Amino acid sequence: MTSHPFVVERDANMATLAEKSTKERLLSVLDDLEVLSRELIEMLALSRSQKLPQPGEDTQILELLVQRDKEFQELMEVAQQQGKVHQEMQVLEKEVEKRDSDIQQLQKQLKEAEHILATAVYQAKEKLKSIEKARKGSISSEEIIKYAHRISASNAVCAPLNWVPGDPRRPYPTDLEMRSGMLGHMANLPSNGMNGHLPGDALAAGRLPDVLTPHYPWQPSDVSVGMLPPHHGNDFGLEPPGHNKENEDDVEAMSTDSSSSSSDSD
Amino acid sequence: MAVSQPRVEKDSEDCSLLPLVHDVIKCMDKDKDGQDVHQELMKLKTKIQKAREQISNMPGIDSSPQEQQQQLATLREQVRTKNQLLQKYKSLCMFDVPKAS
Repeated sequence: MTSHPFVVERDANMATLAEKSTKERLLSVLDDLEVLSRELIEMLALSRSQKLPQPGEDTQILELLVQRDKEFQELMEVAQQQGKVHQEMQVLEKEVEKRDSDIQQLQKQLKEAEHILATAVYQAKEKLKSIEKARKGSISSEEIIKYAHRISASNAVCAPLNWVPGDPRRPYPTDLEMRSGMLGHMANLPSNGMNGHLPGDALAAGRLPDVLTPHYPWQPSDVSVGMLPPHHGNDFGLEPPGHNKENEDDVEAMSTDSSSSSSDSD
Repeated sequence: MAVSQPRVEKDSEDCSLLPLVHDVIKCMDKDKDGQDVHQELMKLKTKIQKAREQISNMPGIDSSPQEQQQQLATLREQVRTKNQLLQKYKSLCMFDVPKAS
């Protein structure tokens, strides 16, 4: 019995069909089913119209049809299984996308951390440079303290603790000092302003004789303390200031001198 | 699974074309050129056309089962690798960076 040409052709293509996708195989088997069923029906119709029975060939086609139908059903089951696998793959793809976004987020954070660390390293290097520079040009602390003493000894930075209004020692240049300085010479200012204008400043410069040194009753010098009446010592805090006539005069003189001193400083 | 298994069998039975071919042949025995044969033939043709449409719309059958299994394995490997990477990063020594207010 010779095999049907359809069978020979299909058997030759079996190897290539195995490599094809399930969809292509399904469509191919469906085409076979269509062709075989049509051929079978036409053959049966022809044989019955001509009353010529052709045993063998219709049976062969029928067997092929059954075989292809079985193959089609098996492929449909495979396709349904592949559909389930496809759903699982979609879930996995979503998971991969989520992991990718997590990794990108972490990468972004790492970049920020790198930037912060790079800035910190740069600043630390700058600080090390400063430290090295300071080490090279180091000055002993004793020398700095000596210099600080020299500055503060002339009351150039701070008034003395026992400073009272009228005290010529002050932490800023006096008018006389300004006039005798370089700026004063450049401006060619007249230096006669010292004549009785600012006795306190002149005293601070140390150029006035002691005869011209004004004596204020509130000065904490030994002479002033000695000139004070005895009750200025211990009894000062016992009586209210308003009841003491001398104290009132002192206060008035103090305010007057204070105002003149402040105007002088201008 | 107990519910889905009968459904698969039903689908497999539904996609068989043999019952329709049998109906056509049976009709041919009764009425050779009648309308019933044409009707049965149309049913068979419609069934084949619907099967084609169904196959075109089925998801995940654009590759062979072997290729699909390879893709599935690749995806699982990707997820595993990325999970390991994230886990490795999380287990690193972390520093608390104070937020600049």
